[in-house]
Amino acid sequence: MTHPRSAIATARAGLAPVVSVVDLRKSYGPVRAVDGVTFEMAAGEVFGLLGPNGAGKTTTIEMLEGLLKPDSGTANVLGIDITRHPDQLKERIGVQLQTAALYPNLTVVELIYLFGSFYAKRRSTTELIGELGLEERASALSRELSGGQRQRLSIALALVNDPELIFLDEPTTGLDPQGRRSLWEHIEGLRKQGRTILLTTHYMEEAEQLCDRVAIMDHGQILEMGTVNELVTRHFRERTVRFATHERLADERLSGLTGVKRVAHESDETVLYTSEVPQTVGALLKLGDELGLQDLDLAVRRPTLEDVFIELTGRALRD
Amino acid sequence: MRRLSAGLWPLTVANVKSFYRDRASLFWTFAFPIIFVVLFGSIFSGRATTFNLGWVDEDRSPASQQLREAFAGVSILALTDADQAAALDEMNEGTLDAVLVVPAGLGEQMTPARSGPPFQLVLYTDPSQQTASTTVAQVVSQVVGGINLVVAGVPPALGVTMQALQTQDISAAAYFVPSILGMALMQLGVFAAIPLVAQREKGILKRLNATPLSRATLVTSNVLMRLAIAILQTVLIVGIGVVAFGVTVVGNLVVVAGFIVLGAVTFLAIGYLIASYARTEESANALTSVVQFPLMFLSGIFFPIDFMPEWLQPVAAIMPLTYLGDALRQTMVGGAAYAPLPIDALVLGAWVVVCSLLSARFFRWQ
Repeated sequence: MTHPRSAIATARAGLAPVVSVVDLRKSYGPVRAVDGVTFEMAAGEVFGLLGPNGAGKTTTIEMLEGLLKPDSGTANVLGIDITRHPDQLKERIGVQLQTAALYPNLTVVELIYLFGSFYAKRRSTTELIGELGLEERASALSRELSGGQRQRLSIALALVNDPELIFLDEPTTGLDPQGRRSLWEHIEGLRKQGRTILLTTHYMEEAEQLCDRVAIMDHGQILEMGTVNELVTRHFRERTVRFATHERLADERLSGLTGVKRVAHESDETVLYTSEVPQTVGALLKLGDELGLQDLDLAVRRPTLEDVFIELTGRALRD
Repeated sequence: MRRLSAGLWPLTVANVKSFYRDRASLFWTFAFPIIFVVLFGSIFSGRATTFNLGWVDEDRSPASQQLREAFAGVSILALTDADQAAALDEMNEGTLDAVLVVPAGLGEQMTPARSGPPFQLVLYTDPSQQTASTTVAQVVSQVVGGINLVVAGVPPALGVTMQALQTQDISAAAYFVPSILGMALMQLGVFAAIPLVAQREKGILKRLNATPLSRATLVTSNVLMRLAIAILQTVLIVGIGVVAFGVTVVGNLVVVAGFIVLGAVTFLAIGYLIASYARTEESANALTSVVQFPLMFLSGIFFPIDFMPEWLQPVAAIMPLTYLGDALRQTMVGGAAYAPLPIDALVLGAWVVVCSLLSARFFRWQ
């Protein structure tokens, strides 16, 4: 498998890859949590590990952060062998953990100051508070923060040493849609600053929105890797035409329409896969007219990462 | 190489802030021992002022009369004259705390030209009444020691010894204040397991592990914070003892401080060992409760080891609090020794080494 974008980015930067992982493995007893993962990341790239819970995303990212020891395989992060010099590595990366809580009885300012004191290189506390929009909560105890504020604080802590590489493990899990959008804006901001970010997520919209490239993981392995566009076009030549399922529009009649390759059902929607969208839509509307159906509530869209995931694993991402 | 000092001070400050913002831990660390001191002090303060000493004079000489005056001048003793049989009966009934018998022949012995072995007074005490028996024994030996000094020097000046005695104010509080301090240090150390396990359970330790902060710095910072609290506890407990119950610290302050630090470190090591086994905050809570009771009640901190069933006495003889309490009593208020101070230090040191090695081996960071 080749990844032209990554290769170009690496060539453009004229540097070794920021992250280079070869055949990384980690088992917990009989469970092979990470089962031979290989990938590279270029400078300035936002790379996403996408997969359901238990796919091995967190185990992978925690090995790269120097928190877990791999059973086998090699991983170089910022040119540092993670198994040999995790201490050097920790000085230069920024980490946001999926489950980590913070000292509940310290304030935002105190926490940022405290974490800054662990590093040789540190950014100003005031500047970070401004950057993450935490000015009004600066003297609040961390246990008094909302979920979104807490996530922004933990991103501020990940930025406290002005890191060359940032790890974000499921940054928006547990947030309401508004909190999620707000956090996306902050991560977008980091991308615009040219920072290199490795993030994990099980929200495909998040991967589509934020990531330059994604790797789809399941059962400890990477199934596919590339830009969102590459992945979708690699698996689907067709687009989809969707409408609310109606009993009078039987599958046999639909599959006979111009351009339709396949008919599928997703919850209460009927999905037509077609390579000739205008012809299919025309034929469908005509059929609806004949049957006296006024409003079919049509939508045309490109298949998404979700479709790619279902195609690859035979199940939905959020199951 | 990571520097040990990087982040040490900010982390210690952060730990102290986290601690004092947690009202429950404040209560257990400070209010609880203070309540204990006040409670014990109030219970014992009535008894503490005087001990009833039966006076059996079988010599009936001017010398024994002078000796009686010397003892009568000691403020915390109330003398009751009786013959030996009656006095011992009263002691059995509990009206007398101790009985001192002056055998016949004292008068001949108390001359400048005396010779032979020292003349023996006989003191009956009740070992089950630890405070009374040790206090009376101490007062009697001090009076006798004072008299010996005087007799060896200038024969007629028996009265001088009384002034020296009156500066030595011994009360029951002097005996339980070191015990309560020992208990507070034990709880401080053992209870350190709970926030530690909570920090691990919440992922705080893991988050710290993702920074360059070294584990040695993390542990050092926790120990420093606990030591700072131990000093505060000591000041409070001893302060109340001094102000409210007239306790006098008689020992060398450096040695006292040394044992306080050693004691705090001993129980912190036990706390870390508990934190190595407990997986959740709840189990850490349960485990500290389970551990602290035998540590407290199987040690000789609140009642004498002789008082325990014989099969339990060897257990008490290895309990760290036995030795911390003993060392604190000896160094702070001049209490009777259970073991020599170097043995106290050695036993506590052994506990530190064993528990530290075990927790270094089994402690989990995430």
